[in-house]
Amino acid sequence: MIKFLFKKERQFQELIFKYLDNLKKTQEHFEKAMDCYFDFGLGENCDFLIAQTHKFESRADDLRNDIIEMMYSKVLIPESRGDIFRLLESLDLILNHFEAVLFMIQGQKIKIPKFIVPDLREFIRVSLECCDLVFRQVEAYFKKTEDIKALVSTIDSHESRCDHLEREIVSKIFDSDMGPFPKMQFKELVGQIGEISDQADRVSRSVYIINIKRRV
Amino acid sequence: MTSLLGGVFLGWSLGANDAANVFGTAVSSRMIKFWTAAILASCFVLAGALLGGQSGIETLKGLTRFTYDQAIIASIAAACTVTIMTLFGLPVSTSQAVVGAILGVGILNRQLNFAGLGKVVVCWVGTPVGGIVLGIIIYKLLAAVANSMNLNIFQSDILLRLCLIIAGSYGAYALGANNVANVTAVFVGAGMLSTSAAALVGGLSIGLGILTFSKKVMETVGQKLVRLDPFSALAVVLAQAITVHIYALVGVPVSTSQAVIGAVLGVGIIKGVNTIQRRTLVHIVLAWFITPLVASVLALSIDFATHLRYIPG
Repeated sequence: MIKFLFKKERQFQELIFKYLDNLKKTQEHFEKAMDCYFDFGLGENCDFLIAQTHKFESRADDLRNDIIEMMYSKVLIPESRGDIFRLLESLDLILNHFEAVLFMIQGQKIKIPKFIVPDLREFIRVSLECCDLVFRQVEAYFKKTEDIKALVSTIDSHESRCDHLEREIVSKIFDSDMGPFPKMQFKELVGQIGEISDQADRVSRSVYIINIKRRV
Repeated sequence: MTSLLGGVFLGWSLGANDAANVFGTAVSSRMIKFWTAAILASCFVLAGALLGGQSGIETLKGLTRFTYDQAIIASIAAACTVTIMTLFGLPVSTSQAVVGAILGVGILNRQLNFAGLGKVVVCWVGTPVGGIVLGIIIYKLLAAVANSMNLNIFQSDILLRLCLIIAGSYGAYALGANNVANVTAVFVGAGMLSTSAAALVGGLSIGLGILTFSKKVMETVGQKLVRLDPFSALAVVLAQAITVHIYALVGVPVSTSQAVIGAVLGVGIIKGVNTIQRRTLVHIVLAWFITPLVASVLALSIDFATHLRYIPG
């Protein structure tokens, strides 16, 4: 009886988890595209993976719009609607940063010098770990499966590590004998990658606040 | 039947206005559709009137003796008081208007049941106070239960929505049980209706008011009440419903609006926020004096007017 009464709520719940799955898929394709780029440089395979990442990012936008439309057609209490809306907007920015990094590499035909590749790989690995934790935290918020507060501090320490790596890479770039234009170009790319963990940290904090707000 | 029109009008306006106190929160925040709320409210009001309205009717009819004409005068005076004061934006309570009108009739008859009247006045003061106390207790209890349940957002939202429907329905039951006496008690006093017939007519007229004219009030008045979060709103509706139900059991019709204001104040105390303006509290106190005064003056005036005779010069 209750299942029948709250059919719309169940559909909404399914849509949210579909969106979260899509976030993970976008991240997976971003990771594959970056690995392909580091291993083989720009080419057909890399372009395909960039296009796939873009496809999943667009699907995330569509799913987000469906969620918002459904949410404002009387699913969830008004307070929750605002929280979820802001959370989705904030999560979407992570995907935008994935896309921005790939488009920057593809559009500007960036060739990364070998001496910063290991550092960049590590930088991206930690950034993506940060995203993994955030997606886990968001899922935990929706499912109440684990402690959100504990995840906030783990994400925060990952983000600090990313900041440290970012400064290290930029310093290495400016210590090298590259020309000023490539230096600026690489600095911009590193800054764009750094945005991923920064945004993940922002999402994590907002999930924490939303969760506290719900306590009576 | 036409002689009951004053009472039916009073019941209709009571339903149109007071349904907002029980379902306004849920409807104005779009958690429940208006028609779901209106149908539930009118059914439960009728059930409340039929199952729990008798003792209120007994109390009001016992305040004075009524003749057939005086019952009609009292119900028209009360209905006019509510309409006039609403039009002028003055604080008004149907319960206080009805008692004021009965008081006017009692003055005419030079017969008043002061013990009964004292009980009614004490309950008026006790309504917002009861709302405050129950608001505090219920909020604390519900918060303890909610925090121990560790529900996710979907579960807690569904539960909150269900609880608001249940609390609203209970509030409607309490409204019917408590306020039906306002609508038809004078007709029982005059011997025009039996107690159960009065409960049926009163319940139906309140239900009609809810179904036909409460939408706008629920959406606007409800929003004024829901400056609180939905959880606090649930505590307020429940505290209000219990307060009003207690007075229904005691047999004294009270103002649901004043019970709501008391409950909002109680929740505000717990949360450490100022939920009610001082002006609202002044309005309650003013309503205790002005509404019965206006209603009794109107009852006396209508009685005077009906006894005027044209003497050709």
